[in-house]
Amino acid sequence: MSEELEEHIQVVREGHGANCSSIGSVIDTLFIAQVAAGALLAVVAASLAARSESESESESETESETETETESETES
Amino acid sequence: MRLEEPAALVALDREGARAIGIDGGDVWSGLVKKSSPLEAHVAVTSQCGVGCEGCYLDATPEGKHVPRAELEATLDRLAKDGVFTVAFGGGEPILRDDLGELAEYARARGLTPVVTTSGIGMTRAKAASLRAFAQVNVSYEADRNLDRIERAMLLLKEEGVPFGVNVVLTRAGFPTLEATLERARTLGAREAQLLRYKPAGRAAKLDYVSTRLSRDQVAELGAVVERISCRMQPLGFRLRIDCAMVALLSDVLHDRARDLERLGVFGCEAGASLCAIRSDGRTAPCSFLDVGDVAPAGTSAPCDGCNLARVCRGGCRAVARFVIGHDGPDPECPRVLRHRESSC
Repeated sequence: MSEELEEHIQVVREGHGANCSSIGSVIDTLFIAQVAAGALLAVVAASLAARSESESESESETESETETETESETES
Repeated sequence: MRLEEPAALVALDREGARAIGIDGGDVWSGLVKKSSPLEAHVAVTSQCGVGCEGCYLDATPEGKHVPRAELEATLDRLAKDGVFTVAFGGGEPILRDDLGELAEYARARGLTPVVTTSGIGMTRAKAASLRAFAQVNVSYEADRNLDRIERAMLLLKEEGVPFGVNVVLTRAGFPTLEATLERARTLGAREAQLLRYKPAGRAAKLDYVSTRLSRDQVAELGAVVERISCRMQPLGFRLRIDCAMVALLSDVLHDRARDLERLGVFGCEAGASLCAIRSDGRTAPCSFLDVGDVAPAGTSAPCDGCNLARVCRGGCRAVARFVIGHDGPDPECPRVLRHRESSC
């Protein structure tokens, strides 16, 4: 999934700019090797995919728990 | 979408968003018009006793803290509007005793809080109280109050608070920039943000032109930024530039517009990705501009024929309004300067 996601990423703003007077953007990625910039996208895509899978699992667990609770309530 | 590890804001196209279970609903169907800044700068006080000559807000020791209830209402509103990052500033934010609590309040509402401080007045207890911030940036002025600033950095490091430094580029400081950043790294800073000197607040006066970078320094800037990036990024020290810097770097960046867009490096963000909420509660397009509109950028020569215009957006309005008296192509952009000279 993460490889497919890479092509859908339009913008990645790295890190937390902590300046209170103007927006800051990481610029060093622009000057390091192209392969490193590609690696950034791969890491971001993998993280998005992992987060999505984790949320799906969490939702199914919640649904399953809800179903179990509902069944118990019905039984009682 | 916001990621915590690696920390990033990520824009996906709709297909990508659907692939990870996000649907824009009424916003995507056009039924609801919604456009919020990514980042809001919130002045939590107008009080500061440091007296920096270049203070863009003219903060003074007599300034007042913004009432807590007003700030909480502002944070509620920003969270509801979908803003991602809230950057507290001032005045000097750490003069407030409730700064850490405000950061926790922002966190509880899904906002990512960050703060800028001069570091003056930092204590160990104060540093420890800042742990709810995603990052603290310390204004690192190599020639003023250096002992107290570096002590603040040390305290932040010891208390486990992630911090970076803000470095304003001035004519006097430019020759020692690389040494300044190396010093910040050894003190524990994880990144530096280079800021263009802007004529706002106390800096909006005649000596602005002798304080800003010289034309020769601007010509050298691209090579310096590249050299710092290549040397310090592998050491884990990241380099940022502020939105006003893009125009200054136009000679080295003008063929990299697509790369810049992908990395979220843009010029003027005022009133678009950025808003600033003043200590009097009024909302401005950015911290350097007065309340009001920002004119569209990049529609006149030489921006209309520049590859970088869609990223640079015509450069810094605050500089243009001070130097030429109105919005227009950034008067300090090297390409704009050459265009004007060739037109004479």
